[in-house]
Order: sequence, then structure tokens, then C-alpha cells
Amino acid sequence: MSSIQVKNLTIKFPVYNDQAHSLKEYFSSIFKRDRSARHDDYLAVNNISFGVNPGDRLGIIGKNGAGKSTLLKAICRIYEPSEGEVITNGTIAPMLEIGAGFHPEFSGRENIYLNGAILGYTKKQLKKIEPEVIAFSELEDFIDTPVKHYSTGMYMRLAFALSTAINPDILILDEIFNGGDAKFMAKAKKRMYSLIDQASIVIVVSHDHSLMQSLCNRVIWIDHGKLIDDGAPEQIVSRYLSA
Amino acid sequence: MSSKVWNFFFELYKFRYALSQLVFQQLILRYRRTALGYLWTLLSPLLMMSVMAVVFSSLFKSDLKTFAVFLFGGMIPWTYFSSVVAQSSSSLINNEGMIKKVYIPKGIFPLSIALGLLIDSLFSFVALFFIILAVGGTLSLGLLFLPVSFLLLFLFSFGVGLILSIATVFFRDFQHITTIALQGLFFLTPILYQPGLIDGKLGLLVSLNPVTPYIALFRAPLVDGSFPDIHILIQTTAISIVTVLIGLLIFLSQEKKFIFRM
Repeated sequence: MSSIQVKNLTIKFPVYNDQAHSLKEYFSSIFKRDRSARHDDYLAVNNISFGVNPGDRLGIIGKNGAGKSTLLKAICRIYEPSEGEVITNGTIAPMLEIGAGFHPEFSGRENIYLNGAILGYTKKQLKKIEPEVIAFSELEDFIDTPVKHYSTGMYMRLAFALSTAINPDILILDEIFNGGDAKFMAKAKKRMYSLIDQASIVIVVSHDHSLMQSLCNRVIWIDHGKLIDDGAPEQIVSRYLSA
Repeated sequence: MSSKVWNFFFELYKFRYALSQLVFQQLILRYRRTALGYLWTLLSPLLMMSVMAVVFSSLFKSDLKTFAVFLFGGMIPWTYFSSVVAQSSSSLINNEGMIKKVYIPKGIFPLSIALGLLIDSLFSFVALFFIILAVGGTLSLGLLFLPVSFLLLFLFSFGVGLILSIATVFFRDFQHITTIALQGLFFLTPILYQPGLIDGKLGLLVSLNPVTPYIALFRAPLVDGSFPDIHILIQTTAISIVTVLIGLLIFLSQEKKFIFRM
């Protein structure tokens, strides 16, 4: 059974006044009396706790910079908790920024294997999904061309097809896929919804409130890194909008 | 700590296919779209060593063939060590995009560099070895020791690479420092000369240089046709183990924090 437990999760980002971290800065700070004054901590996620059960379709709403994406990245293990913990059961497919790890010099086919391996797929799985990914992305004629020659749409199609090729237990979405022409979008939406239907847990961040209400059975509202409200989609969305 | 080390290797094992893809990516990219392709692994050290052999043998007034064999024994380990160190130091910052978008055990980046370069080094070693044999190298039982030499050198270089990969995230200056330090270290390592040839303060530095015994580890079988001295073997084994342990210690203590500094 897949599940997610977020317990007292806090993610701190050190904020540097000077972005260039250099040795000079370090040595000069040694001589400063108060070394902790070197940077302030920014609490992107501030002591959040919630649980997600099998069957849940959880939506996360909040303003830009509220900490929604940081929270998603913590669930995907990209950011380690500064305090608290995240316990997950089940395979996770993060669709945060698809196409991470594509190498421009490599062909589409080589990138299926390279990026697939980074996403945690096995060689056997990749061999099996390769023809389907190529067919879905409609790149049969260009699959052996280096991806640096691809158009943005071609690139997005390949990345989308690959990252949605295997059904995960837990699906994590940062905004619903948006790219490609109308025909591909329709096809992509269909594939996305079938993935959502088959996943045990779905967590989605979106600013599309009608989508939230149609897709989710539960919504949480985050502001300044804190959990403000948690409940039925209609209720939370209307409170959020009237706030 | 030991559970952390165990976990480090377990995670790498789980991502072994990604590791092999990254190693493969390195090997392919270096030579893709070059007319001679992988042949460059052989050609570039060969040309490099030929130039050095000609220049330094006439400078030192020594026999070209003897010097070439001597130089080969020193350059093989040095080239591997210095490339691993230089490339590892930028291995994490070069993969920032990936590290911030998807979970992947971070040790995979310095490890893939140490492994990719090891494959390169073994290929160029084998190819150059036949040329050296023709010039006057020795074929002896001592050569059987070379796998151990490569293993010890790999561990040492990987350990230093782990430390520098982390250090460079925190202080980008290390990219520049590494380049300069390697250049200085080249002259403090007995590659062009016999150890013991330099005395005084500089000689002390040469004998304190941790890379020095690794040169002997290769030179004994290749040039003298013998097994390396037991002291050298003990010394390098100790340095390799300590370096890898320190490297892992530093890497593991920062592995989960450095993403906030990228």
C-alpha cells in the first residue's frame, strides 16, 4: 500500500547576500565576531505535517513562492528535510521539470536510456518501453538525431512520453503538462489522465482551480511555508480565493 | 557512520544502470564527431609523451629510448590521477540541473568520472605498452602486479575527487586552485626525474608528496621489471584507504546539504 507521511517538515534555505561564494568571503567571515550573521535562513517549508493515503488525489494551492514546489521536491527526496521527516511507500514518478538530464549531443534514442536510467528505470524496462515512447512522441524519423537539433516541441514530446511511460504508485505533478500542438496536447492529456487513474496517490500543484476541484478529493493550502488549511477542494479553494 | 557508508554504496548499487550510462556518456562524448574517434585515447598520450621524451631526454642528456620507457612509467599514473582530480572537482556543479530536478545519489558523479577515466587509462596503457615494448621495455612477472597498482591508484584518486567535488560547491575558487595545484604537483612528483635526485627543501616536499609512491607502484613493474618494494605497497595501501575514508566522510557529511549551496 502506498502512502506518504510528512511529519513536522521544515526546509531551510540559507540566503546569501552575496551570491558568489568564495574563499575570500569565507576567510573574511572568520574574523567577524558573529559568524552566524553570514547568512539568514529562509524557511521555504515551515513545520508542515500531513498524511496522504492510498486513493488520495491531493491538490496543493498557494501563492507563488509559498513553498509548494519545495514541498514537492522534498517528497521526491531532492531536498533533504532540515527538520522533521518524509516517509514514502511506493514508487514515485516526479514530473517536476521533465527532460532533466537530457544530453544535447546524444540522440533521442540514447537519451531515452540515459534519462530513463537517471529516472530510476532498469535497462529491461527501457528496452520494453523504447518503441512505445518513440511512437507516442512521433519522433520515428528523428530518433537517431542529436536532441540539440530538436525543436522545443519535439524535445517536450520526448521528455513527456518517457516520463509517463511507466505507471508509478505515486504521481507528483507540478502543473499539468503544457506544450506541443493541439493534437499532441489532446493525446498527452489522455495519457496523463490514464496515469492519474492508475496511480494510487496523486499530488498536484496547480493554479487552475477548476482542475483542482475536478481532479482532487482533497486540497491543502500553503502560505509562507505554513499549512493554512486542509480539506475538501470546493471549501479550501473558496476560502483561498476569498482570503 | 558505517550505516551511512553502507547506504551510500547501496544507493549506488540501486542506480548502477544510471552509473553505467554516465560512464558511457563520458567515453562517447569525448570522441564523438572526431574523425579518429576513440583512437585519440591512444594518440593523444602517445604524442604528448613523444614530445616530452624528446625535449627532456635531450635536456637531461639521456638516452631517448631509456628515457621514454622511464617517462611512460611515470606518466600513466600521473595522467590518471590529475584528470580524475581536475574533472571530479567540477563534477557536482556541472550536474546542478540534474541534481535539482530529480533524486539521484550524488556520489554517482565523481564515481562515474573515476571509472570512465580508468577505462580510458587502461586502453591507452595497453596500446602504449606495445610501443614501449618495441622501444625497449621489459616483459616480466612484475607486470602481474599492475592490476593492484591500478586499483590502489583508483582508490586514492577517487578519494581526492570526492573531497574536491564537495569543496568546489562551497568555494568555486577550487576549480582554479585545482588547476594550478596540479601543475605544481606535477613538478613535485618524480615523473621526469628519479626520486632522490632533488635534495634540500624541495626534495623533502617530493618525498612528502602522497602521489610519489604511486609512481613507484607503476615504475617498478614497467621499467625495472620487478614487484614494487613492500614499503611502497604498504604506504600506498594506507594512503588509499585513508584517502577514500576521509573522502567518504566529507562527502557523506555534506551530501544532503550542498544542494542548498548550488
